Formats: sequence, structure tokens, C-alpha cells
Amino acid sequence: MKTQDMMIFGYLMATGLTTGALYALVAIGVVVVFRATGVVNFAHGEMFMIGGFLAWTAHVMFGLPFLVAFAAAVAGTFVLGIITYQTTFRPLASTGNQNAILLAMVGLSFVLKGIARDLWGGRGDYLSFPPLVSPTPVDIFGFMIMSQQLIVLGAAIAVMIGFWLFFRFTRAGKFMQATADNTKAARLVGLRVDRVFMLTFAVGAAIAGAAATLMAPLTLLYPDVGFSLFVKGFAAAALGGLGSIPGAIVGGFLLGVTEQLSANYIATGLQEVAAFILIFLVMIFIPNGLFGTAARRRV
Amino acid sequence: MLLRLTSPMAAGIALFALLFAAPLLGANEYYSYILNLMMIHVIVTVGLNLVMGHAGQLVFANAAIFGIGAYGTALLMKHFGLPFWLCLPLGAMLAVSIGLALVFPALRLSGIYLALATLAFAQCALWVMVHWTPVTFGAGGFTIPAVSFAPLPISPDMGMYYLAWAVCALLVVLARNIVRSRIGRAFVALSDNEISAQSLGIDLLRYKAAAFGLSSLFAGIAGGLFAGTLRFVGPESFDLHQMILQLVAVVLGGIGSLAGSVIGGVLIVVVLEFTKATKMSVEIVFGGLLLVFVLFAKGGLVVFIRRFLPSWNETLHASPAPRSKAP
Repeated sequence: MKTQDMMIFGYLMATGLTTGALYALVAIGVVVVFRATGVVNFAHGEMFMIGGFLAWTAHVMFGLPFLVAFAAAVAGTFVLGIITYQTTFRPLASTGNQNAILLAMVGLSFVLKGIARDLWGGRGDYLSFPPLVSPTPVDIFGFMIMSQQLIVLGAAIAVMIGFWLFFRFTRAGKFMQATADNTKAARLVGLRVDRVFMLTFAVGAAIAGAAATLMAPLTLLYPDVGFSLFVKGFAAAALGGLGSIPGAIVGGFLLGVTEQLSANYIATGLQEVAAFILIFLVMIFIPNGLFGTAARRRV
Repeated sequence: MLLRLTSPMAAGIALFALLFAAPLLGANEYYSYILNLMMIHVIVTVGLNLVMGHAGQLVFANAAIFGIGAYGTALLMKHFGLPFWLCLPLGAMLAVSIGLALVFPALRLSGIYLALATLAFAQCALWVMVHWTPVTFGAGGFTIPAVSFAPLPISPDMGMYYLAWAVCALLVVLARNIVRSRIGRAFVALSDNEISAQSLGIDLLRYKAAAFGLSSLFAGIAGGLFAGTLRFVGPESFDLHQMILQLVAVVLGGIGSLAGSVIGGVLIVVVLEFTKATKMSVEIVFGGLLLVFVLFAKGGLVVFIRRFLPSWNETLHASPAPRSKAP
């Protein structure tokens, strides 16, 4: 292979892994909520989108440091997750009607998108986020890699580790795991399951907010970005089996790399639809994903 | 059967009589156009409610199927110069054949999985409409000439109006008969519980195919009429906004109610025009309506009508969806 081809390949891999890490973060949010409640939060993308706009407001409009903007976005989406739980899941959970919950979430996602469009600009308006560091590439093992991408990739992995630590070592994280594993048993041992569900929605949304803040310097923000990221996050989660967090992470990286490679080596337009095609194929041929356990059909 | 004045049947006959008479009674061009759009949306909603309400399959691809009907009809006219009366059924057939392909995911999936798989499919279809420029004319869309009803002494606009009227009336009657037949009862059994439906001898493949085929047929025909009425076809007519419009129409009228579908199809056009006129956000209004109706009025408006009109004798088929987490 020629050096130039290697350079391009290295660049594509770096870009794919960076965006893949962000897709993985979105996917983790989808999986955490799904594992606990059995529903996919259709408004999850809107958590991402509003998180990004909150970070933009704090960082660009008010000139606050990036880390403060990051905290603002995480806190804001945490609250938004609670709102999602209170307005969609909680009122309908007792009916056991998943279709109704999903429809309510679709409704909420459009309301949030409409509000964001009113607040942060109309259709076709894109807000840009200043780069974190100078855009000079760095040389790693002969590959030219944007230092910005390295920072985002590192930060995304740090968020994943932070989330794992939270899940593994804090009381709240253990409550969440226990409830996801067996809701009835969790209730029997005295956990306030409703609170745990609320926390689950909030934490899932907060990860999306973190992902949005990390992604903002690499791309543009617009109200429809939420749906597109939700689709990518869901595709990654579905590929990983929808119930598995490691699966979601692997799925995210796979999707990110697949998008870049297919766009460059097959057809440019494929980048937009790769996630849709992936969802469709996974759903038809491997509904349990790469890491999911075979689900029993209940009568 | 004695026809009570406040039964869905009588209300339907009155509505269609009124729609027939409206242009004759002097409804101007704009109102005729709005009424025409209502009838088109009634067709779509009735079809979507068959698959979503009666058969309990959460399908998010209906807006795209509607678009495929519109594109199919209009592109045959544009590229081959075929007459509208031939393109409309051909476009509908195209929509049905693509809608039937969705049966394969539907055999393995239900609930959220099916919703998202069909949504992914819809977005792929939309992508093709935008990017297959040599055939579909890309993101800008394209126009088609006015449909002539030449031997008849009627203007193109009025011709489309009465065509939509006749087709709408016919399809509503068809849906009514289907709902009351063995097929309709099989749909309801299927939405209650697939496994118990199978144990009753209901062939899942056949009846899911029937549900998807019927809703695609309705959406495809409505799409062809939509193209003929607007004389313009573009991808933005069939995106997520169209999807939520159709979902609101079903939920607003009443999931699993034929009368509700007619009410919903009519009302969303009213709400949409009102929203545009007052410059409110379509997303907030329709998203809010969907949320509020799912949360507080799950049976839709027909439940209120039934409460006030005891002779409103439609059997409703909304049933709880399965609780299972499994795909």
C-alpha cells in the first residue's frame, strides 16, 4: 500500500474512532434506560441536542470556560432526563403499554425539538462551536492525527470510565444495576424503584449531554442533530444487543469506523444512511445483536 | 338495521354528503383545496389505523409509503408521460409491494423494535428520494402538469376533488367491511397476543401481510392523489413531520376506531392550517397533541363522543400492547 493511502486510512480510522466513541456514549444512554425499563427513549437524541445547545450558550454566548460549559450541559440534560421520565414513562408505566410510552416519547421529542428551534435558531441555521485546541495535526506512528480528535477521544473514554466507576462503586449505581437486573426483587428488598428509574433516565440523558459537549467542537449544532444522533446511538446499541453496555461501546466504535470507511471507499452519501441500513439489517438478521443473550418469547 | 341519526354510519354519510356538496355550495378554491387535503389524510389515517390500531403493529414507515405512492404516480407521469388514471394504481401497487417487504421485519419484531426498524426503513426511502437525482429530481422536488379530466366538463382541480371524494368514500366503506370481517377480527386477535392468535389458527404471515398491504394500499393511493392535487412532489412532504402528522391523526381520533380515523384525518388538516396561519411551531403543536392525547385521552376523541352519544355504536378495538421485553 502506498504511503498516501496509509495516511488516508489512518485519518479515516482516527475520525471513525472519535465519532464512534461519541456514538458509544449516546448508545450507553439508550442501553441504560432500556435495561432498567424495557423501553427505548425516543427523545434521547433531543437530550443530546439540547445538551449541545446548553454548552454552546455557556461557552460561546457567556464566554465561560469549556469545563463549566461541560458541567452545565451535563446538569441541564440530567434535569431533562427527569422531565422525560415524569412526562412519559411514569404516567404510563403502570399500564404496561410500551407502544403508548413510545408514542408519548415521540411527542415529547418533537416538542423539545420545536422549543430548541425557537430558542437556538430556525431550520437551516447552524451554530458553530470554537475548536478546543489549535488544529495542527500531531504525528503518531507516522499517522497525522488532529490533536482535537485525540482530546475528544480521550475525554469520551474518560466519561465511559467515570460512568463505569459510578455504576460499579456508588450506591446509586448499584441500585440502578439491581433494579435493571430484577425489578421485583429490587422492590422487595426496599429499593424505591420509581426513584431509581428516574435516576436512570437522568443519568442516561446526562451521558448524552456530555457526548454533545464533546462533539460540539468537531461539528455544527442544529435542532435536527438530535434525531440523527439518536439513530446512530440506537444503531450502535442494537448492534451490541440493546441490553449490553460493552456491546453498545463496541457497536459505537464499529459504526463510527464503518461510516467513515464506507463513505470514503464506497460512496460519500453512505455516511448518512449507514446507521439506518445497519439498524434494518441487525433487526432482521440478528435481533439479539452481537452481544445480546437470546431473549425468551413470553406468552 | 335502523339507522340512528347519531350513529357513526349516519355521521359518515352526512360528512360525505357535505363534502360532495361543498364546492357546489360555493366553497372557494382555497377551501376546496383544504377539503381535498382532508380527504387524502382521511385515507392515510384509516389505513394506518388498520395496521396500528387494529393489528397493533407500531409502524413508523407510513409517511414514506405515502411518499412512495406520490413519487411512483408522479414519476410515471413525468418520465413516461402516462396518463394519471393509469399512474395512480401503478404508484399504489409500488407502495404496496414495498410495504409488503416490511412484513419480514414485522414477523420477528414487535413494539419498539418494529417501530425503529420501520423508521430506519423510512429514512432510507427518504434518502433515496433526495439522492437518486436522475430519477427523483433530488431535494428540490418536481412539478407535474395538471391532471385533465378531458371528456368530462370539469376543471382539473374539481376533477381531483371528486376523484378524492369517491376514492375516500370507497376506501372508508372497504375499511369498515374489513374491520367487521374475519380479517378484522384476526387483526385484533393478533394485536392482543400473537401466540394465542396462532393457537386459534391465525396465520401470522398472512394476516400481518394483509395489515401491512392494506395500510400501504391506502397510503399509496392517498400519495397518488396528493401528488395530483399539489402537482408538486418533494421529499420534505414525507419526512418526520408527515410521520408525526399521521401518528397524531390516529391518536387524536382514536386508536382502533374507524370513525376516529376519519375525525383525526379531518382535524389534523385543520390544526395544521391553523398552526401555519398563527405561525406557531408545528413541532410543538403536534408533538404536544400526541403527548397530551397519549397521556390523558388514550381512546381519542371517539371516547368523548361515545360518552355523550349513547347511540354511537362502534365497537372499539384498542387493546393493550404486550408487556414483553423480548423482541
